[in-house]
Amino acid sequence: MISFGKRHGRCGLRHGCLAALLTLLSAIVQASEPPVGNLGVVGSDTMAGLMLRWGEQLSERHPGIRLQLQASGSASAPPALAAGTTRLGPMSRPMDEEERRAFTQRHGYAPVEVEVARDALAIIVHRHHDLEALRLEQVDAIFSRTRRCGDELDITRWEQLGIDGRVGRIELHGRNPASGSYGLFRQRALCGGEYRWRLNEHPGSAAVVAAVTESREAIGYVGLNHLTPGVKPLALEDADGELSLPEAEQVRRGDYPLSRSLYLYANLPPGKAPSGPERALLELILSPEGQRTVAELGFVALSDTALASQRERLGLDEPLP
Amino acid sequence: MIEPSPVSSSPRRAWRRQRDRLATALIMAGGIGVIGAVLAIGVFLVWEVLPALLGGVLEPSQIRTTLTPMAWGTLKAAFWAMAFAKPLALGAAIHSSLFMSQRLRSRMKPTLEMMEAFPGVVIGFVAGLLLAPWVERHLAGSLALLLVLPLGVLLAAEAWRRLPAAGRRHLPLTWAGLWLMPWLALLTWLTLAFSPGVESLLFGGNLREWLDAELGIDYATRNAMIVGLAMGIAVMPSVYALAEDALSGVPSRLGEGAHALGATRWQTLWRVVLPAAAPGIFAAVMIGAGRAVGETMIVLMASGNTAVMSLSPLEGMRTMAAGIAVELPEAVPGSEAYLLLLLAALLLFLFTFLVNTLAEVVRSRLRRRYRWLGGSP
Amino acid sequence: MRRRRPLPRSEGPWAWLAAGSVALSLLMLTALLLLIAVRGLAHFWPATVVQIEMQDGRLLAGQAVRELPLEEGHGNERLYFTGNRDLDGEIWHWLPVDAIASVERPPELTVLERRHHGRFIGRLIAVGDAGTIDGNHAQQAVWTRLEARLAALEQLRGERERLRREVLRPLIRRLDANPNDADAQLALVEANARVYDLQLAMRGEVALLESVDGRRLRQPLEEVLRAWRPNAMSLPQKLAAWAGGVWRFLAEGPRDGNTAGGVWPAIFGTVLMVLLMSLLVTPFGVLAAVYLNEVAHQGRWTNLVRIAVRNLAGVPSIVYGVFGLGVFVYGIGSSLDEWFFSDSLPSPTFGTGGLLWASLTLALLTLPVVIVATEEGLARIPVEQREGALALGATRFETLARVVLPMAVPAMLTGVILAVARAAGEVAPLLLVGVAKLAPQVPVDGEFPFLHLERKFMHLGYHIYDTAFHGSDVQAAMPLVFASALLLVLVILVLNLTAIFLRHHFRVRHGVQPRP
Repeated sequence: MISFGKRHGRCGLRHGCLAALLTLLSAIVQASEPPVGNLGVVGSDTMAGLMLRWGEQLSERHPGIRLQLQASGSASAPPALAAGTTRLGPMSRPMDEEERRAFTQRHGYAPVEVEVARDALAIIVHRHHDLEALRLEQVDAIFSRTRRCGDELDITRWEQLGIDGRVGRIELHGRNPASGSYGLFRQRALCGGEYRWRLNEHPGSAAVVAAVTESREAIGYVGLNHLTPGVKPLALEDADGELSLPEAEQVRRGDYPLSRSLYLYANLPPGKAPSGPERALLELILSPEGQRTVAELGFVALSDTALASQRERLGLDEPLP
Repeated sequence: MIEPSPVSSSPRRAWRRQRDRLATALIMAGGIGVIGAVLAIGVFLVWEVLPALLGGVLEPSQIRTTLTPMAWGTLKAAFWAMAFAKPLALGAAIHSSLFMSQRLRSRMKPTLEMMEAFPGVVIGFVAGLLLAPWVERHLAGSLALLLVLPLGVLLAAEAWRRLPAAGRRHLPLTWAGLWLMPWLALLTWLTLAFSPGVESLLFGGNLREWLDAELGIDYATRNAMIVGLAMGIAVMPSVYALAEDALSGVPSRLGEGAHALGATRWQTLWRVVLPAAAPGIFAAVMIGAGRAVGETMIVLMASGNTAVMSLSPLEGMRTMAAGIAVELPEAVPGSEAYLLLLLAALLLFLFTFLVNTLAEVVRSRLRRRYRWLGGSP
Repeated sequence: MRRRRPLPRSEGPWAWLAAGSVALSLLMLTALLLLIAVRGLAHFWPATVVQIEMQDGRLLAGQAVRELPLEEGHGNERLYFTGNRDLDGEIWHWLPVDAIASVERPPELTVLERRHHGRFIGRLIAVGDAGTIDGNHAQQAVWTRLEARLAALEQLRGERERLRREVLRPLIRRLDANPNDADAQLALVEANARVYDLQLAMRGEVALLESVDGRRLRQPLEEVLRAWRPNAMSLPQKLAAWAGGVWRFLAEGPRDGNTAGGVWPAIFGTVLMVLLMSLLVTPFGVLAAVYLNEVAHQGRWTNLVRIAVRNLAGVPSIVYGVFGLGVFVYGIGSSLDEWFFSDSLPSPTFGTGGLLWASLTLALLTLPVVIVATEEGLARIPVEQREGALALGATRFETLARVVLPMAVPAMLTGVILAVARAAGEVAPLLLVGVAKLAPQVPVDGEFPFLHLERKFMHLGYHIYDTAFHGSDVQAAMPLVFASALLLVLVILVLNLTAIFLRHHFRVRHGVQPRP
């Protein structure tokens, strides 16, 4: 969990303060002066590093802007957005219907969804392992005790996968139930089934990588930004026998089955281009520089067309009134 | 408690008496308040969990599937921790209370006591990220150490017996705790150096595969043995300190009497001192077990948190404390998961509280017995 | 023939095994301490950088980190830290030792610590303006120039920080309060311009770098924090660099997702929390002890309470964490939010973990320690002292305040220090009541009310857990984890030593015996 900056300064305690600040901001922007102010952001902890780095870059571009991040998980963003305590909420999953409805009820319009980066879960083995690819059903048969994806038999030993010279029990490594990766993997790779009892439930992704780095019998799953040369990400094979690795291109196109998008939700009234610090942040994120940061932190940057279409949708290309 | 002497009644005296009453009342209220706050922990847990249990919010089947592996894992971890800590701590306590030279003892005791405060997060990190993979790579050597080290000590004892008297004077038993250290270090090194050769000779080069193929024993990297060793190190100092107190509290005239009758020091210990101090040692072990049951960070970092229920020291487990630490912050207050974790906390509380109470009662009996035997407490 | 002297009567094997367990315990503790100390301190040493030529002609530069056996009979493989994330996409290389053709230590190999992409390891070709840079300089001249420029940049960076802190932020706060303050707006524009100017002055210069296999890189100097050439450094220089590294570790905040930089906010957070905790625990602990020992009627009930309090010291810390979460955070915190901070709901102010709740929880956790220690101190004070005071006409309160308590001060101190030592190393309850992965803003600052009790804070122990398990790269974070662990152990060791010293001092000074 992260807290960056003061969350409840004098402004948080005063009625109408936000409105006053906004008037001020628009006044400043109209005079084509630099955007100024505190930018409150509430949401995902997966994206905390990303938001912090963007905040750093933002205050370099515009010294008057300060990003204040409160990252206690994706679930904290929708209520804060709906209640109006924040205007920006990063989330590592899309908002569900319930959350959207709550927002629309309160504000009269839907939240604006901005896709800011792509990410994926990689299935990893030891770097000297001979295994190269798995079918999704095999992944299910290895990790779950329910086998909902349709494989016939449980896979508990490396011999069952038919690779040369690798014998022994498969040691499973994954995340704890509270993490987003646990849920995503269960939903996409186990077809919603149950994990095996034998799964080592590590409290952090780094621990999964560390465990797989050290053990040749191990297999695990982690987010792309945690990969190191000590482990080998496996390709996934689809029904037609096509292989896809968790690499930038496949993840960007969504061909890799365990990929996902990272979002920033914004409270922007329709029909008006964003302005002030929010516009500055969105401009940064959807710029080549902002996307370089995405790649630098190990996530996958968006394609140019996706960037351009989002810039257009948000009206970032229009000059300010 | 001593009652103040009655004071005469000049106005100043009266004011002082007033002040005294007021202060006493305040202290009383404050003291009762603080003690109440401290004891509120149990009340809170019962308050939260009991309605859910009685009101049927928590299904018994739900409780069974979630809590049984955790309770099992908790006891298993504590058992293996005590399996490592008990012999070490009691051996050390016996040696330092009966054989060790006074000078060494006066330094050793605070050193080991200080280790009591060694943070669990550091031990857990070393055990989980360094020790566990290291033991996996040197499995044969590590298991061999369990055998080699005690034998090595006995070998040293035998060699010592055959030393000329001058040599024995230079290496007295009273300082053996210190001069055995380099010998044990050397043995460790030798064992690790030779174990790969022995391993390939006996087990086809890989003990782990051999165990799997021949005996069907699964070896998990993060297992009860590692957790036991790490937690053993964490618990050992407190068991040692309490056991040492119990042993050195035994009135000295008992031991002297036995010596005078011609018993060796070991015979004295075994027949006289140990029976006298047994309740104290029991209490020490109980308190150690209580600590092992509640230790969180070491298990969290070194156990792998697998929900398997097995006896094998080579497989992992999940404990209640670690489960609470990881899952509770994300659980919605009032939800089923939240209540289950609270129930786990209540069980932990009750278990440790009862164990400690038992130990405390035993210890106070013991103190009375020592006084009755005529020694200083 | 001389008869062989009989062997001396032995204590038997068990006595020796007991001695062996002492030796083994000490050996394990020594090994643990040595491991932490060596790995923790070695991190700051400017280690030699080697240039490796592989048999297939590949060239690499880096520092060897560890070596592991490959599958049987294939020799070892070695892990090198090679940096250059921007060129290679990775900072580590696993190389089979058999495939290494040669290892050299060229003195000109340079290591740059950068703000982005981590370290660079390679050669420095030139330093100059982005437009006109070329590679035709003598090595030594380039190096001196780089050092000079880095020093100048450091100054500019400090100046920018100062501007931000002292001019920009107050102005923003002023505008917050009064949006129509024209002077402030003008001043803000001006200050902004000054910061821009500074940034412009910092930009523009680049270092031309080359990795050992000949790929070139233009590195903006503004992003370079430090540069050193470990192979060309003398021992005193290395020592100085080591000391500098240790100092930065203690004084700086973390960077790069906690894999670089220092632990200052964590030290600050730990100390602040422990201070608050002792402020809470001392008066209440002493009060309870005085009540139990001096005021309460000494009967069966008091004894029961005494045993219960003593036993609470053995209740697992995580249970206290659960109590803190349930009562302080969800109970009291949520109510506080509803009464006083309803504006900012649903985002909680006190209804989430924070400094105050963490200190309170730890205070509760350590109360039994303080109560027991103080009680022991009170019980050691000879009854004659009290009787003397009472006989001279003092009231009970006066006896207590002037005679008994002063004599018990060392015992209280011992109790508090033991409590502090326990609290400083305790992490489990903090997981539940308010520790943060990253809180670069310490909970004390110049903004009203100066001490922000609701803020989350960083903690050394949690920092160890978090960097080791939640970071992006354990291998990269490992040295820092060891350094933090060493720091934590040292802090606790010092606190414990103080307690032991005080206890000794106290016993010697008063020479008092426990009450019979």
